[in-house]
Amino acid sequence: MNLTLKIWRQKDKATPGQFETIEAKDISPDMSFLEMLDVVSEEAQKKGFEPTAFDHDCREGICGMCSLVINGVPHGPEAATTTCQLHMRKFKDGDNIVIEPWRAAAFPVLRDLVVDRSAFDHIQQKGGFVSINTGGTPDGNAIPIAKQEADLAMDAASCIGCGACVAACKNASAMLFVAAKVSQYAHLPQGQAERSRRVLAMVEQHDAEGFGSCTNFGECEAVCPKEISVRVIAEMNRDYLRATLVGTNS
Amino acid sequence: MEDAVSQPPPGVGKVIARMHGSTIGQKALMAVSGLLLVGFVFGHMLGHLQMFGPNAREHYNAYAHFLQSLGELLWVMRLTLLAAVILHIVSAVQVTLRNKAARPIQYANVKWIKATFASRAMRQTGVILLLFILWHLLRFTIMSAAATGFTGPEVPLKPGSTELVPDVYGRMVFAFNNRPGITLTYVGCVGLLGVHLSHGIQSALQTLGVLNAAYRPLLKKVGPALGGLVFVGFASVPLAILAGFIK
Ligand code: SF4
Ligand code: FES
Repeated sequence: MNLTLKIWRQKDKATPGQFETIEAKDISPDMSFLEMLDVVSEEAQKKGFEPTAFDHDCREGICGMCSLVINGVPHGPEAATTTCQLHMRKFKDGDNIVIEPWRAAAFPVLRDLVVDRSAFDHIQQKGGFVSINTGGTPDGNAIPIAKQEADLAMDAASCIGCGACVAACKNASAMLFVAAKVSQYAHLPQGQAERSRRVLAMVEQHDAEGFGSCTNFGECEAVCPKEISVRVIAEMNRDYLRATLVGTNS
Repeated sequence: MEDAVSQPPPGVGKVIARMHGSTIGQKALMAVSGLLLVGFVFGHMLGHLQMFGPNAREHYNAYAHFLQSLGELLWVMRLTLLAAVILHIVSAVQVTLRNKAARPIQYANVKWIKATFASRAMRQTGVILLLFILWHLLRFTIMSAAATGFTGPEVPLKPGSTELVPDVYGRMVFAFNNRPGITLTYVGCVGLLGVHLSHGIQSALQTLGVLNAAYRPLLKKVGPALGGLVFVGFASVPLAILAGFIK
């Protein structure tokens, strides 16, 4: 199949970018979206042009490195799927495809489609962990946890930190990401000791990074490749308000 | 589950700083002030529905008389509402400015998957509602009946009673009777109120963390249902007057 790509090109952080139209020829419907871009890049290189830079790593939908807003939707048209797992059979021959980077003040574009997501690392460093001694591997099974709670924790923990929630949010808010990280520990006994401190510190860092605030559009959960539900945001809000109004610990 | 270690509540300064300065705090203030206003809207609507039914003139005038007789309490209510409106607007402005700054470069192409029209139009409906409320206050609270051109005489509080009260019922009929332009503007504005609340109510509950997983599907419907109710309740009175059903 042949496609017309409109891709965002930007030399570096400081230089303003613009769209470039590139023809993608002889694309197999079995290719992934990133393989399609590989082919386009190879062609460009053969002709002596600079290939388009984009982020990727595992290409298995588990690392959270790939990104791209494809025709207005982060990670493209297929629900619950990362860009690396999106296949070209989702498109038709002759389609126009607009490809943009994540857009947020807190995610500056480094080059073309690559953005700097260190802001997520800074938030994680403020509390996305437990610092109590949890013992050895067998000890994990020694603490009984209700199946329901374990499932809620596990659902939240499936966040891969890709940032699609920020990209989809009209306010470029990272609340779904932060809430997933907060909720994953809020449902486990090991997370309780630092529960209040964690939510306060992570939200404070979220705000300091320049992300917007959540106005409950729900676009984040619609594009999240791991289908994290906005219920985690409600839980985080409750924890945050409780910690603020009633008390904190440790 | 509770915290393993607990400590006394943070100082007042910290609480204010967090509520006023953080994304979640600002949203919570917007939610609480909004819910307070929703409570008022429902009370106001129930009051208006007394325009229907037998002996509506006496009922409605007695209700208006009762409100006026509250004296200081009425002022407490008014000032509380004013404070809620100010808080709601201030937090809305804060949230809007922050959110605009969070995305300096817009997408060339945006496709909404889930966001409802109501949720995307909160700012616009909010601004129109503010103008509507000011106009409404001017017409029915600030201006005297005579200033609006209503010349109806005072009427007895109860049939046969000697206590005379202003005919608020008559004033209401006068305000909409034979005035399709004004009536439709009112109906349009309370329609926008319904749209605003259909997202606002559920958004407020979500912001305050009331929606847990079990209640979410139910509470997601509460916003649109209550928004629709507000529209029907408020639109019915002026429309009934225009149609000559209430006279
Ligand atoms: S919540 Fe979903 S969209 Fe957001 S970073 Fe995690 S996996 Fe990506
Ligand atoms: S490249 Fe790892 S999730 Fe897409």
